[in-house]
Amino acid sequence: MTEGVVDIARMKPGDRFTRGSKVVDALSKAGLLIAILAVILYGSIANAAFFSTGNFLNVLTSMSIVGIVVVGMTFVLVVGGLADLSVPATIACGAILSLGLQPMIGPVPSFMVAVALAGAIGLLNGVLVGYFGVNPIIATLGVGTIGLGIVQAAVGGVIVYGTNPASAELVKGRLFGIPVVAIIFAAIAILGHIILSRSFWGRWTLATGGNYSAAEASAVPVRAVKAGAFVITGLAAGISGGLLGLTLQSARPLVGTGYEFSAITAVVVGGVSIIGGFGSVPRAIAGLVFVQLLTNVMVLEGVRTPVQGFVLGALIVCAVGMDAALRKRGGA
Amino acid sequence: MTDAHCALDMKGITKTFPGVKALSNVNFSVKFGSVHAVVGENGAGKSTLMKVLNGSYPPTSGTIRVGGTEVRMRRPADAQALGVRMVHQEINLVPDLSVAENVYLGRMPGKWTLLRRREMVAKATAVLEELGAAINPRERLGNLSISQQQLVEIAKAYAADPRIIVLDEPTSSLSEHETAALFSILRKMRDDGIAIVYISHRLKEVLQIADEVTVLRDGSMIETRPIEGITAGEMISLMVGREVSNVFPKSPAAIGAPVLSVENISDGKHFRDVSFDVRAGEILGLTGLVGAGRTEVARAIFGLSQLTGGTLRLGGREPGIRSPSDAVKAGIAYVPEDRKGDGIVPAMCVRENISLPILRQLSKLGCVSHGADRALAGHYVSQFAISPPDGERRINLLSGGNQQKAVIAKWLAAKPSVLILDEPTRGVDVGAKAEIHNIIGQLVAEGMAVLMISSELPEVLGVCDRVVVMRDGHASAPIDRKELSEERIMALATGEEVA
Repeated sequence: MTEGVVDIARMKPGDRFTRGSKVVDALSKAGLLIAILAVILYGSIANAAFFSTGNFLNVLTSMSIVGIVVVGMTFVLVVGGLADLSVPATIACGAILSLGLQPMIGPVPSFMVAVALAGAIGLLNGVLVGYFGVNPIIATLGVGTIGLGIVQAAVGGVIVYGTNPASAELVKGRLFGIPVVAIIFAAIAILGHIILSRSFWGRWTLATGGNYSAAEASAVPVRAVKAGAFVITGLAAGISGGLLGLTLQSARPLVGTGYEFSAITAVVVGGVSIIGGFGSVPRAIAGLVFVQLLTNVMVLEGVRTPVQGFVLGALIVCAVGMDAALRKRGGA
Repeated sequence: MTDAHCALDMKGITKTFPGVKALSNVNFSVKFGSVHAVVGENGAGKSTLMKVLNGSYPPTSGTIRVGGTEVRMRRPADAQALGVRMVHQEINLVPDLSVAENVYLGRMPGKWTLLRRREMVAKATAVLEELGAAINPRERLGNLSISQQQLVEIAKAYAADPRIIVLDEPTSSLSEHETAALFSILRKMRDDGIAIVYISHRLKEVLQIADEVTVLRDGSMIETRPIEGITAGEMISLMVGREVSNVFPKSPAAIGAPVLSVENISDGKHFRDVSFDVRAGEILGLTGLVGAGRTEVARAIFGLSQLTGGTLRLGGREPGIRSPSDAVKAGIAYVPEDRKGDGIVPAMCVRENISLPILRQLSKLGCVSHGADRALAGHYVSQFAISPPDGERRINLLSGGNQQKAVIAKWLAAKPSVLILDEPTRGVDVGAKAEIHNIIGQLVAEGMAVLMISSELPEVLGVCDRVVVMRDGHASAPIDRKELSEERIMALATGEEVA
């Protein structure tokens, strides 16, 4: 007898959110925007270097590389795939191949091959998770470790350097004063947003994450959708790695270390549900902006690295806790 | 009534939520050693009243006495400490734990020591035996059927030595046979002096088991009466505030050629050599005890599991269904039994749920057409009178009946030629039930072939044109509507001849 005036019946004692999801949505979105503004305000007052074009361009550039991964990672979380831990390997793959192949086939084909191979790693993840039902954490950790091993073996563990200055100039350059990587990031974010919120594939992704069995019983190709999220992340990480390699003009096998954590932090802080079924690219990017600005302020203020880690960890715990609490409320 | 016989006495209970008065001045009392039924349409306040009783909702005003003493319950633990136990309609157990562990969850023997597993299993065995449930306490809970899990829920409540047990729709997943078994358990508990609050939409069962009945409507108590001298019709009119003449209307439809035919289909596990055909404009009932293999047949036809033998024809062709997408392409739709688990995506709105199976048709260049999506939802929301009439509302905020209408709408959008309905009216109230039956009636009138699985015999008898009865994975020959009787179906379902 949970029917009828279920809005009432489902509410828990002490529940503050009684007006349905719209208000809560608005609140949680606005909450993050307010937090971003607060960081900007604090940064501007506390440190003269913060509110400057130079600093913002720096933040924007470093944010763009992670941001491309964030777009992919959003799909993984929304589809209920927990997280893709093979990102460091796919980034390394993208960076090393896009530089290492340059002498043989030229910069553009190198980049394409690098991204395609990263996509293939994503496909392997996707097949393991979607079709064989392997736990995503285990599957992506395993595939990532293997991928990284292969990449290391291929380059002999040494650093690979770029040999094509023109491509480096292009990637490091600016268009109308905006860094090229930021423009690429924006384009990928917009594409990702359209796919997730407007396309049937995106709706399938949300449905699969929201209720796998119901989606399956609604003729949604759930296995392919789940696998697809990992392919998207593989491609995104490949592009991100390629751009990173071209920017740095050098690539080590461990170049992507930590990017998985940054991306997951951003997505979770953005309020995308870690259990799946809820989230959007703009939310994840808002989370990214917040985390990046906060980190930037902490760096400028000379906050020690362990403390920075502590703050970011606390943020994740709070965000996941919020998600759990909101889920209880929604009964979802 | 504050004497010792009174297990529970709630007086003047009012519960308001921001903007809504869910209960207004409700008086409700239950005696020890009796079964007290609570009936009412969905939204009448039964659920809220029970949540007040189990401590989930502290009342806004009013007093509660348990065993004659006034009590204050702020959380479910308070209610449990007073001996109030609730058995929810939805199963709240841990699938990966054993039956015994589930029965003693939270109260396992050996508080500060290691878990005394043997003692726990022995105790659980005793409880299950006492209840007459043939369940192995060492079995993993998830391996049990839904109806067995329901019995474990009851055993869990019973093992806690309660004074008051609240059962919310306990028979919604039970077959008639299992319901009878449950009733003997309830009578036993009643004779032990336990006060039983029994919430059900099934008035026939209320008449069988209850000693007293309380009718709620719109958050108010309408009447409490002894069960002697009240009829189902009277209860319904008290519930809805009007006379309802025909509970199961049957609109005649012209029956055409077979649309879906299955011949000797098997899945190698749950059913064998099942044959029947469903004709255009016909409602074919598939009934039997829970666990007889009905749902498995439906799921296999829909491609959610694989057939190991036999042929399946649709309009004379063999479509070769291996997945739900194949089934949808072939023109089959399936409204599943477990609405919450398989029917709806709770976090999505009504519109998104309805368009899910046909998203690709609604898309241009991969993007879902906003207009077409909205128009589709709008069409079904108004055609089926889904309430509230808002396609943008999250579907889990709707009542069960309205969720079910949305799930049916989802499948009609795919324009199937065969519609399989698995327990389509389970857990929905009288009004919504009639609406769903009307919808099914309209569909067959338009020539659709409907295969309806139902455990509720009055529904099967009232709605179906022909009925196939399953028992232990085998199907009977179809019985024509004219030759149907409850006795005949029960005889086939149980394999026992009725004198």
